[in-house]
Formats: sequence, C-alpha cells, structure tokens
Amino acid sequence: MSTCRESELDALLAGELSPEDAARVHAHAEGCAACRHALVWLRTERGWMAQRARRMPSRPALDFAALEARLAAKASAPARPEPRESPWRGWRTMLMGAMATMACFGLGLVRGVPASSTEEPWGAEVFVAAPGVESCEDAAAALEARVGACLIATPGLVASRH
Amino acid sequence: MKMVLVGAPPSDTDGERALLRRARAGDPAAFRRLFERHAPGVWRFLRDLSRDEEAADEATQETFVRAHGRLGALRDEERVGAWLLGIARLVHLESRRGRGVQVDVEDEAHLREVEAVLPTPSPEDLLLDRELEGLLTQALGMLREERRAALLLRIDHGLPYEEIASVMGWSLQKVKNEIHRARLSLREQLAAHVGGGRP
Repeated sequence: MSTCRESELDALLAGELSPEDAARVHAHAEGCAACRHALVWLRTERGWMAQRARRMPSRPALDFAALEARLAAKASAPARPEPRESPWRGWRTMLMGAMATMACFGLGLVRGVPASSTEEPWGAEVFVAAPGVESCEDAAAALEARVGACLIATPGLVASRH
Repeated sequence: MKMVLVGAPPSDTDGERALLRRARAGDPAAFRRLFERHAPGVWRFLRDLSRDEEAADEATQETFVRAHGRLGALRDEERVGAWLLGIARLVHLESRRGRGVQVDVEDEAHLREVEAVLPTPSPEDLLLDRELEGLLTQALGMLREERRAALLLRIDHGLPYEEIASVMGWSLQKVKNEIHRARLSLREQLAAHVGGGRP
C-alpha cells in the first residue's frame, strides 16, 4: 500500500467516488495484491461494524420520555440573574492589576531573576497533562471577561488542546 | 442484557431535512423522530469513546438537550448525524476533563511492519461472534482516544472524510493518516483471529 491509498479503496466501498474515480481505483486494485488485501480487510471491518451496530443494548438514555423530562426541567429552571455592574468595578480592576504588576516586579528584584523566568519547560504538553489546568483556564476566562481583554484562554488555545 | 435490533445508520434524506425544519419550527413529534433515529448511534459513539455505558447514557441525553437548544444553528446543508456526533464529542471531552488524563496504551512504532504481515480474512471471518465482538471492542479501546473517535466516525457512523475533518477540527490529510493508523492497529490486534490462524 505504499503507493496506494487506502482511503480511496474505502471511499470506493462506501460508494463515495465519482464514476471515473471508481473505475480508476477499481482497475488499479485488480492488478495490485496489496490493494486487494486491503479491500478484504475493509469489507470485513464494515461487516463487523454493521453487525455490532445492530446489537444495541436497551439503555435508559434512548428513552425519549427521559429526554423530555430533562428538557422540561431545563425550561422551568429559573434563569441566572445577570451580575450587576458596579460603577467602581473598572477602576478596581485596573488598581488590582497595577498592584499585581508592582508586586511581581518587586519580587523579581528581590530574587535577582526576571519575574517571568521559570526552570521547568512548559508548553502545550504541560497544558494538556497538568492536573487542574481546566480550573486555571476557567479563572483566566473569568479574568478575561472582567477586564474585557483577551489573555490566555483564547478559543484557539482551548481548541488546540483537543 | 436485553438487546434491541436497530436498523442501519440513518441516511440524511429529504425526509430528514423536512423533519429538521419541523423540529426547528417547534414540532415536538419531529424532534422525537430525530432523536429516535440518531440516539442509538450517538449512544454507541459515546460508549465507544468513554468505554462506560452509564457515562454514555448521561452524555447522550446531554447531547440531545444541547442539540434541542441549538437546532436553529444547524445549517440546511449540514447532516444531522454528523452535527449530533460533533456535539456528542464535545460533551464527552467536557465530561472527561473531570475524570483525569487518559493513559494511551497504543504503540504505533511498529505499525509499518504490521502492514506487511497481516493475514487476509476469510469469508468465515465476516461473522462477528461474541468472542470476536469482545476482541474488536477491546482493540478499539486500545486506540488513542482521538484516533478512535476518527475511526469510529468513519467505519461505524459512515461519515465522509471531509465531515470527519470538520468534526475533529483536523486537516483532511490528518484524518486519512489517523484512520489508516487506527485500522492497522486494529488489524494487528485481531490478526490472530482471522484468516484461519496467525500470520
């Protein structure tokens, strides 16, 4: 299969190819032992999955009444009140930010190293593996909402973790 | 366990689009019909991702609660099945976060060699008996979760590669690569049980 494409054989079996492409892939597979071998596996897998799908257990989640009850409960739940915006909130946030910056700067001077330096390497891998990282993201998202600026909990970063 | 027979995965037809339009307009019978068509596949997908039937129950219901609230966001050209499986995957990812990091047991370093020595299944191998079904489920469970999701979307739920790319947020090439690797890994696990013996 080094020069052959299994995805094309798969698409052939699924009937997803145009007539021209289907004829081309079919003609190739007839003369290619690796593709014929792959086709047998693909057919077998399709057969297995179809049989497996027909053996669905009876589960409570498949009962529409349970879903209706859930939807009704959601509809009758009181909506969360919007938090009231304090006129001093913006000033308070800016003051807290300035104080935090000064504290970090001061700590860096006392320790003789830049405040942002760290010995541990960190990156996407650390973000994925570190326990409690979701709570950090939540906190960052909350902070973003408060200050109205994009910090670290951007959708791109969150999406890249999945 | 009591088993129910369900038909082949539903295809999106004009009938389904009509159902969707009615459901959007607030027709509960139409939404119920969509649920009955798609809930078994959604549940199976979630069961295979989480490997936990009770977690799949909860996530299936949550998937349809969210779908109900977002029907208006579904574009006409989108397929309902793929859309629901995309929501299901997000629900699963959210619930997984609370359960810690999964340990991957898949070893792909030797997959290239595996391809060369796989036996060819015989026609008798098409029959999925209970033992083979258990082995198949076990082999699926050994795949890295994202790779497993992509493979299932293809071989169990019949999504075209382009739709899988959309659901997974991957490039088309990555989808093809991941599914190919998943297949090789699956075949390696099952090789001893097909073709009348070991390779």
